[in-house]
Amino acid sequence: MAAPSITIKKRIFTLLIIFITAAIALIIRTGWWQIHEGERLQKEAIEQQTRDRIISSRRGTIYDRNGKPLAVSASVDTVSVIPNEIKKAGNAEEVAAKLSEVLGMSYEEVYNKITKNSAYEFIKRKIEKKEADIIRGYNFKGVYLEEDSKRYYPYGNFASHVIGATGTDNQGLFGIEAKYDKYLKGMPGRIVAAKDALGTDMPYPYERYINAEEGTNVVLTIDEVIQHFVEKHLETAVIENKVQQGGAAIVMDPKTGDILAMAVKPDFDLNNPFEIQDAQAREELEKLTGEEFKKRYEIELGKMWRNKAVVDSYEPGSTFKIFTSAMGLEENVVKVDDVFTCRGYATVANHNIKCWRSYNPHGTQTFVEGVQNSCNPVFIDVAFRLGSDKFYRYVDAFGFMDKTGIDFDGETAGLFHKKENFNELELATAAFGQGFTVTPLQMVCAVSAVANDGLLLKPRLVKQLTDVDGNVVQTFEPEIVRQVISKETAATLRNILESVVSEGTGGNAYIKGFRVAGKTGTSEKLPRGNGKYIASFIGFAPADDPKVVCLVILDEPMGESYYGGTIAAPVVGKILDDTLRYLEVEPKFTEKELETMDVIVPELRNMEVKEAQNALKELNLKNKVEGNGNTIIDQTPKPGAKLQGQSTVILYTEGADKVENVVVPDVLGKSVLDSNRIIINAGLNIRITGSGTAIKQEPAAGTVVPPGTVVNVEFRHMDVD
Amino acid sequence: MVKDRGTFDFGFFLTVMILLSFGLVMVFSASSYSALNDYNDSYYVIKRQLIWALLGLFVMFFMAGFDYRKLAYLSVPFLLISIVLLVAVLIVGTEVNGARRWLGIGGLSFQPSEVAKLAVIIYFSNSLAKKKDKVKKFFTGFVPYLLILGVIALLVIKEPHLSGAVVIVLVGLMLLFAAGAKIFHFVLMAIPAVAGLVVAVMMEPYRMRRIVSFLNPWEYKMKEGWQIIQSLYAIGSGGLFGLGLGRSRQKLLYIPEAQNDFIFSILCEELGFVGAATVIILFIILIWRGIKIAINAGDTFGSLLATGIISLIAIQVLINIAVVTSSMPVTGMPLPFFSAGGSSLVFIMMGMGIVLNISRYSKGRG
Ligand SMILES: [Zn+2]
Repeated sequence: MAAPSITIKKRIFTLLIIFITAAIALIIRTGWWQIHEGERLQKEAIEQQTRDRIISSRRGTIYDRNGKPLAVSASVDTVSVIPNEIKKAGNAEEVAAKLSEVLGMSYEEVYNKITKNSAYEFIKRKIEKKEADIIRGYNFKGVYLEEDSKRYYPYGNFASHVIGATGTDNQGLFGIEAKYDKYLKGMPGRIVAAKDALGTDMPYPYERYINAEEGTNVVLTIDEVIQHFVEKHLETAVIENKVQQGGAAIVMDPKTGDILAMAVKPDFDLNNPFEIQDAQAREELEKLTGEEFKKRYEIELGKMWRNKAVVDSYEPGSTFKIFTSAMGLEENVVKVDDVFTCRGYATVANHNIKCWRSYNPHGTQTFVEGVQNSCNPVFIDVAFRLGSDKFYRYVDAFGFMDKTGIDFDGETAGLFHKKENFNELELATAAFGQGFTVTPLQMVCAVSAVANDGLLLKPRLVKQLTDVDGNVVQTFEPEIVRQVISKETAATLRNILESVVSEGTGGNAYIKGFRVAGKTGTSEKLPRGNGKYIASFIGFAPADDPKVVCLVILDEPMGESYYGGTIAAPVVGKILDDTLRYLEVEPKFTEKELETMDVIVPELRNMEVKEAQNALKELNLKNKVEGNGNTIIDQTPKPGAKLQGQSTVILYTEGADKVENVVVPDVLGKSVLDSNRIIINAGLNIRITGSGTAIKQEPAAGTVVPPGTVVNVEFRHMDVD
Repeated sequence: MVKDRGTFDFGFFLTVMILLSFGLVMVFSASSYSALNDYNDSYYVIKRQLIWALLGLFVMFFMAGFDYRKLAYLSVPFLLISIVLLVAVLIVGTEVNGARRWLGIGGLSFQPSEVAKLAVIIYFSNSLAKKKDKVKKFFTGFVPYLLILGVIALLVIKEPHLSGAVVIVLVGLMLLFAAGAKIFHFVLMAIPAVAGLVVAVMMEPYRMRRIVSFLNPWEYKMKEGWQIIQSLYAIGSGGLFGLGLGRSRQKLLYIPEAQNDFIFSILCEELGFVGAATVIILFIILIWRGIKIAINAGDTFGSLLATGIISLIAIQVLINIAVVTSSMPVTGMPLPFFSAGGSSLVFIMMGMGIVLNISRYSKGRG
């Protein structure tokens, strides 16, 4: 056979050249992707080949000022699966059966999830350690437990509006939990692991592990004990007075601006913050569905979570007379003994503005008496002596035109008149706290300035941030805003305000042993004439060296009274009483108080008569002996009972006649003096709380009791602002 | 005649053995994970591939000792048989993913298109060698071959197996070219072909999308481009030296059946540009040695036969690498020696055996 022709050889060689050229071009093309584009492609490839798993960090604890935990995080587990791995293991039925049993879910639900065509499925979040351990024990392939944390609030319904709650991802929703979220949440860690296209983890060395950083702890200025006092007394008042729009109370340390307690009632359980507490709202919600339900639910939730003490503003009413007085005294336009006359009204710009007691005008009175009486014309007069410019400046200086700057989301400032609209009529009404609004917190801060020698402070809710080991990371120091009035004016004003409680409309806030200063306030809500009021009282004690300032506001009380002096003042009194005792402030009793101090009746039975009489005398108690024996065989009241000083203990000896029981007389509506006389005359003992008119007695009138029995009578000033 | 016979081209043989071994290593590396995932046995694919490789070696050595000139007698019956098989596969072929490409005989199965490739090469080589200068005539020298290619290509397209048809047509055209057909005739034929392509694209716009998607695969990331992006991720991740043998991450099911058409991407990822260039250079050596054998062949039949077989390898290698590097539209083309394709390896080895046999009769050896 002949060898191939030259043409054929040339043609074949041409093919070789084509092939080699193409091959070299492809080498270049490959190199372009690998070297020129390599970095970009590798980055994108790694992005799809790896899974970032978040290691949640432990959320910081919220403590009260003394280190009591108010919000803590416990570690729980989240169960998730990689369906592909279960498919490979081929035991989906078994896994579904066991998991559904332990987790209390339906078999179908679990089975559908673990056989789903997805890379990764959550089965259940935040399961308890006990359940997690059982699942761990099964050692199923493709079932993963990841550490997570759950928020617990050990006190439940406690400072709910202040502390705030967290959502499913442990994120703060409101309150301190939200405001300090970035500190509390810490820094989640990450595990970067290789995965295949179906999501299965791969054992490759480019796995990275970044540790989670624990959250920072927040130490509040709140004192758990004082907060409990406040919650208890406020809740009682809200229920007793049928308060429709809730109540709020704040206790502040005037020397530091620390909020010692801040409560809003009604409240809710922080461990279950999504359940609407208001029964009526709940009922209405049940009737709604879909978008309507969602909208309404969110509104109700917002209402429930709303921290009234910081967010809501109200018309301060007579409590504002504190500041009108402060301005007048500071500017020297009024002296304590200046004389004023109340005709029941004042005429301003052709309007007659009534005194709250226009039905029985206060008549001639000194300035101090005017404050005690809370007499409106007195303050109108003072305001006019000041002039609107000065008045306006002081309102601003006391902080009523700005937010206080507290560390809390959603704080508002009240609404005062615009400077250009602040004319005679506005000035006159502002003098006694009408025509504008303030927030409870602004009010507390401003009164604290009076209590703190005229120095206005920024309120403080968070004291410190600490790390996991309790080391202080950051301390928030008290901040001075400005000197509003002089030290001297502040001292004078404190004395006047003390007399409001000891002699004036604030009498219901009176507590034995402590000099309470304060001012009542009642304002009618807009639109006027609907019978909706806000009752408030702001007080501090001791008046000469104030340790705490306390404000109580009751929004729309629908009980027997709506006067701040009647229903809010006693709440402040009780809070101050408990708080000052807890703070170990030394009580200073007056002679009169000492005389009627409570005494505990001792055990006298089996004593000699003389011996018993001496014992009672030492305790400032009187005695009455029945019978003529030598030894005491019985006594009324029984040992352990509380008696006021100068009360009588009846001692029975051998041979005493059978003593007739007595009927408890009715003293309701009577004055302290009258009640005292009536009960003593009936052969009974009286124990007095409060002053004014008797509003409660125990035992009730008509009850038959042995002589000497103690009748507890509660008095209230009813004729107050 | 017997006395012409020398030893075969050792360089060619060595290159074949290196490529075969390299291919087996890569098949194992690329397939082990998906085999574990699909069959719960990481050796599932490589075990089968090894068996085919052994069978291939046997066939290669057999063919290396089988006088290629005897193939000339078989050329017509072989072509007829392959056409019968191509018809048979359309009727009784095993359907896989909607295509009938495989014929099963006993426990073995093979693709008739593979048989057709060799049959076309043998028939064309024999026929064209006899035709000599008459190939320059249009109607008697050129058109008949096109008709044969047309019939076979249509049958293969019917399976459907477009890339198989493309390879057969290209090999046939290259043999026509090598045998000395007029360039003008090719140009004449190209006009209706280009026109046909334009019409086909205009009728079904998705074809256009598929054709141009390789230009910017990211634009079609979720559809046509996805596979090619996965391939580029693998190639790019390899960089200069690669992640190391067995360390491909893209084979973790990101590239489906990584041991098949996209095995070159896995090779790039594991062995880097160095490995990829080495493989292409090995193919260049194979082609160069093969063409050298063709040029030095003792007769025109041997020369064209070797050219056809080498062109067959070259076309598949170039198309495969062009596809995985996004240099041309995606088409399913295995990489000779590397892609795990079962029986196709045996046909490749058969071709290699024939080339080796041709080398024994080369002029250089006297
Ligand atoms: Zn008056």
